[in-house]
Amino acid sequence: MLQLRKEPEAGAVAQPRAQGRLDLSTKARGTVSAIDRLRSIGSMKALFPRRPGRVEAIAINTAGGLTGGDHLEINARAGAGSRLSVTTQAAERAYRAASGFARMETELSVESGAVMHWLPQELILFEGASLRRRLSCTLAADARLLLVEPIVLGRAAMGETLRAVAFDDRISVNREGVPLYHDALHLDGDALALMARRATGAGAGAMASVLYVAPDADSHLTALRGLLPATGGASLLRSDVLALRLLAADSHELRRSLVPVLDRLSADTLPTSWRL
Amino acid sequence: MPIDARLLTLTQWLSPSYPVGAFSYSHGLEAAVARGWVSDADSLRDWLTDVLEQGSGRIDAIWIWRAFHGDAVEVDALARAFQPSFERLREAERQGAAFARVTREVWGLDLPDMLLPVALGRAAHLMQMEAETVAALYLHGFVGNLVQVAQRLMPLGQTAAQAVLAGLTPVCQRVAVAAEGAEPWSNAFLSDIAAMQHETLEPRLFQS
Repeated sequence: MLQLRKEPEAGAVAQPRAQGRLDLSTKARGTVSAIDRLRSIGSMKALFPRRPGRVEAIAINTAGGLTGGDHLEINARAGAGSRLSVTTQAAERAYRAASGFARMETELSVESGAVMHWLPQELILFEGASLRRRLSCTLAADARLLLVEPIVLGRAAMGETLRAVAFDDRISVNREGVPLYHDALHLDGDALALMARRATGAGAGAMASVLYVAPDADSHLTALRGLLPATGGASLLRSDVLALRLLAADSHELRRSLVPVLDRLSADTLPTSWRL
Repeated sequence: MPIDARLLTLTQWLSPSYPVGAFSYSHGLEAAVARGWVSDADSLRDWLTDVLEQGSGRIDAIWIWRAFHGDAVEVDALARAFQPSFERLREAERQGAAFARVTREVWGLDLPDMLLPVALGRAAHLMQMEAETVAALYLHGFVGNLVQVAQRLMPLGQTAAQAVLAGLTPVCQRVAVAAEGAEPWSNAFLSDIAAMQHETLEPRLFQS
């Protein structure tokens, strides 16, 4: 069951918490994609480096990390025939929550003939982090999607421990109202001990899930398998749905495996923030 | 323990001789043995404990509960989307179809082809069984099959194999109870990765 901490009790002095929301949509103008609507509220900002053939958005949480009571939302829609790539400027850090839990909610919508790349950098969980994250995505019948969610469990190399983490994470991708790919994980308590177990992570400190939805999914399967370490796997769930899962010792090892995978699936359009 | 006809029927459905072909699926265990992640009785017990508590065992128990109490067709659609690999989907799909075919013919139930835990949950509801007992016995049969699979893949004597299964019995019971009203999630990442890797494993004895 969900064991996230409760909201602070009435009467407790509430810290002002970070709230942020980014609403973004794109549209096709001939062969070019352009921003259709853009609204940014609170601590969520976005940059738009000029890219050929697509809109690239770099989301920035100006609050510099997440803690209890924070609420970040991203709502991104790739309108019919347009191409939208969303990434983050830096890894997102979930810090100790003194009270309550942080929320991250992302809603993606990919319309007919559109392409969405959801390529955030790592989420790093620190000791005491309490975070509920939801990513939901709706796809039109012929929409294309590339999605990655990298997660790093503290910085083990610096001797950090994660004895009291509450992280509840769900990804739900539906196509024309039908569940296509759903995934969820739930780290509660001693996350390092949990990830040390034999069929969980065998000591991994970082992991990632990748989802690729496109008619050419099967043509990538063999090549992707060749890019993966012993602790990675890829599978074709349907003729146009490819799922990949990867465990690594730390964030550095994770990137080393992940970047070639994302280069291939994004046709070498991985946002430059991934190179830094 | 009260014995009635329903419990005997449930035992029949979940016995290794019920023709769903369970013996031909390793649920990724064959790849885990090939990698050396599972190599003896202790590591097998650890692996299966995680699969039960953190992975597909827990989720299957949730599908049984949900199909028992809710719209099985809806549960089936979600359960399919939660399958982490092609072979795992096929394993649940083929066994479910075989279970549904035999069960609707013999007992005359309105039971469409669905993933195994979903079909079982619906059939159990139609026969007015207890969801908790169904889930516990399903999990026990599930790991019982995997212990037998392990005996074909690595040196593991009959007595040691039965000791592993006996050790997992309270886990099955606990997971079956906790699955009521619970949300599906899985932390058994390596189990899922092993299932993916099995697709290219050569040579292999099992279909998953």
